[in-house]
Amino acid sequence: MPDYGQLAAEQLPHTVPVTAPPYPPPPWPLPGARLLKVTYETEKEVPLRWLPPSLGRPIPPYAHIVVASFPETPVGPFSLAVQTIGCRARFLVRAYSLQAVTDSPVALMALREVWGFPCLLGRIAIAEEEEEVEAQVEVGGRTVCVAALRAGAPIDVEVVRFDPYLNLRLLPPVQEGQPPPHISLAQIDPHYQFHRALRGRAEVRFPKPSEGAPWHLVPFLAPVVAVWTEADTELPFARFVMPY
Amino acid sequence: MKFGIFFELSVPKPWHERSEHQVYFNALEQVELADRLGFDQAWAVEHHFLEEYSHCSAPEVFLAAAAMRTQRIRLGHGVMLVLPPFNHPVRCAERAAALDIISNGRLEFGTGRSATWTELGGFNCDPDLTKEMWDEALRAIPKMWTQEIFSWQGRFFSVPPRCIIPKPLQKPHPPLWVAVTSPETAIQAAERGIGCLGVSVGTPSEYEERVKAYRRIIRECEPVGEFVNEQVNGVTFLYVDETEEEARLWGSKLVYTFGLLAAHFTGVSSIYPTPAYKVPGLLFALRREQEQRSAPTAAGGGDGAGVIREGMAIGTPETVIKQIKLWEEIGVDRMVFLLNAGEVIPQEKVLRSLQLFAEHVMPKFDPEAARAQASDARAKAGR
Repeated sequence: MPDYGQLAAEQLPHTVPVTAPPYPPPPWPLPGARLLKVTYETEKEVPLRWLPPSLGRPIPPYAHIVVASFPETPVGPFSLAVQTIGCRARFLVRAYSLQAVTDSPVALMALREVWGFPCLLGRIAIAEEEEEVEAQVEVGGRTVCVAALRAGAPIDVEVVRFDPYLNLRLLPPVQEGQPPPHISLAQIDPHYQFHRALRGRAEVRFPKPSEGAPWHLVPFLAPVVAVWTEADTELPFARFVMPY
Repeated sequence: MKFGIFFELSVPKPWHERSEHQVYFNALEQVELADRLGFDQAWAVEHHFLEEYSHCSAPEVFLAAAAMRTQRIRLGHGVMLVLPPFNHPVRCAERAAALDIISNGRLEFGTGRSATWTELGGFNCDPDLTKEMWDEALRAIPKMWTQEIFSWQGRFFSVPPRCIIPKPLQKPHPPLWVAVTSPETAIQAAERGIGCLGVSVGTPSEYEERVKAYRRIIRECEPVGEFVNEQVNGVTFLYVDETEEEARLWGSKLVYTFGLLAAHFTGVSSIYPTPAYKVPGLLFALRREQEQRSAPTAAGGGDGAGVIREGMAIGTPETVIKQIKLWEEIGVDRMVFLLNAGEVIPQEKVLRSLQLFAEHVMPKFDPEAARAQASDARAKAGR
C-alpha cells in the first residue's frame, strides 16, 4: 500500500507555512504604544453603505482614525492606522474597521489573517510636538489620510476610552462561482493601561484620495475630538466571533 | 409613596406624515387618564435630534396641552436644558412661569445639562462646561421669578436690569429638581436643596446609597431657591397585565425597544473624554449586562427576553406591588414610569395597564389617590 503523510490536522500550527509560521499566535503584548485617535462626524450614508446588517448606525454617524506606533511587538516594531465607523451592536458601542494600513509585511499578514484588520501595506509617519500630533498615512506613495490633534492639553487618563473593534474576517472563495467559505465578525477588545493623554481639536484631511485606499469614502463633516495617549496595550484573542 | 408618568415621545420608523401627531396625541390621552386615576405627576423630557428615541424638543408646548386637558396632575419638565447654548436662562424662566400660570400652578421645574454628544455637538456646546453652566442658570432662574427687577453678571450669560415676566403662579416659585444619573449629581442636588429626579433606569439597590446620601446631605443644604424641595423620584418601566405571561411579553418589548433606541444616540462619555461626563450614561446597566452575557449580536433576546430586572414595574398587579415595595424600602418619595417606547405597546394596552395599576397597586401605597379615585367614581355615578 502507498505511504501517506503523517501531519495530522491537530498538529497544524496556527498559520502557514507549516514549516515556519511567520508570526506567533495571540496574544501579542504591545508595551509602550503611542496612539492617536481622531473622531469626526461623517455622512449618514457611510454606515448604511459599509456596515453589516447586524450593526446599527449611531446618531450622529461618526468615524475614528486610530494611528498607533508599537515599538515592541513579537514581530518587531510596526505602526498601524485604522479607519473605523462608529456603530452599535444592539446596545453596545463598537468600532467597525473599514480600512487599515501597516508598515510591516509580517504584521500585515497577522493583522489580516488573525484579527481581521483589513490592512494594506503602506507607510505611516507620526510627528509629535508639544501640543500637536500629526499622522500621515501613505499607500502606494500617495498620502491617503492626514489625521491630527491640534491645541492639545493634558487630560485625565481615566476618561480615555477606545471602543472594541469589530473586524470582518472574510476567507475568499477558491472555487469559481462559490461564495466565501467563511464570513464572520470578530470583536477585538485590547486592554489599555494608559499612562498619559492629551486631548485637542480634531483635524482630518484626505490629500490624495486613491481608488486603492479610498479613506475619503468616510468624509470629514465636523470634528468631534482628538486624543493622544501613551499606553501599554495588546492584541488579544478575539472576545467574540459572531455571524456577519 | 406617589406615582407619576414620564414621556419621551418616541416615534418609531418608518415615519409617515402623521407619525409624530399620533404619538403626541396618544401621550395626551395617557396624561388625561393618569390625571383621572390619581397619578401625581407627568413629566416630559427635552431632547433634540434623537431620532426615534425622543421627538420631544418643545416640551413646554406638550405640557401646556396636557395642562388644558387635566385638573390635578402636576406637570414637570423632566428636564429643561438650562444651558445658554440651548436655552437662554431668561427664556427658561419666562416659559416656565407661563406654563405655571396656564396649568394653575402645577409646574415642577426639572433642570438638566444633556448627556449626549448628539445634542451638545448639535448646539456647539462645550461638554467640559455644562456642569458650571447648569449651576449658574439654576442659581439665576429662581431670582428671575422672585425679584421684581433682575440683573446678572455671570460667566456664561449676563442680563442688565430687567423685569422678567410673567411671574409664576406658585409662590415663591415652582419646586426645583435636577436630573440625576450618578451618585455625584444626587449629592449636588442635596447640596442645593432641590429634588432628585431619577432619569436612568436602575435597580433599587443601585439607587439605595444615592438616596441615603441625598437625605443626609440635604439637611445641611444651602438652597438655590427660596425653599428646599426634598424629594426623590425613581424611574422605571410600567406594564401591568392580567397574566404574568402577557405582562412579561409586552414589558420585555418595552424595555428592549427603549434600550435599543437609546443605544443609537451618542453619549458624551462614549465619544468625548471629559471629566464632566464620567458615568457611562443611562444605559450603563443594560450595557454592562450585555457585555457580560454574550456576543453582542447574538441571536435571541430580540424580543427582549432577559431584559426585565429587579425593580421594574412589569407583571401582574401582585408582581408589581412586590417590585414597588423594593423602592418603598429604600425611601424614594415617588416612582415615575415610562409607559412606552417606539409605540411598541398598543395604545389600548398602555391605557389598560394604567387602569390596572391605579385599581390594584396604587391603593396599596397611596391612600390619598385611592380616595380621590373613589370620589371621582362616585361623582360620575351620581351624574
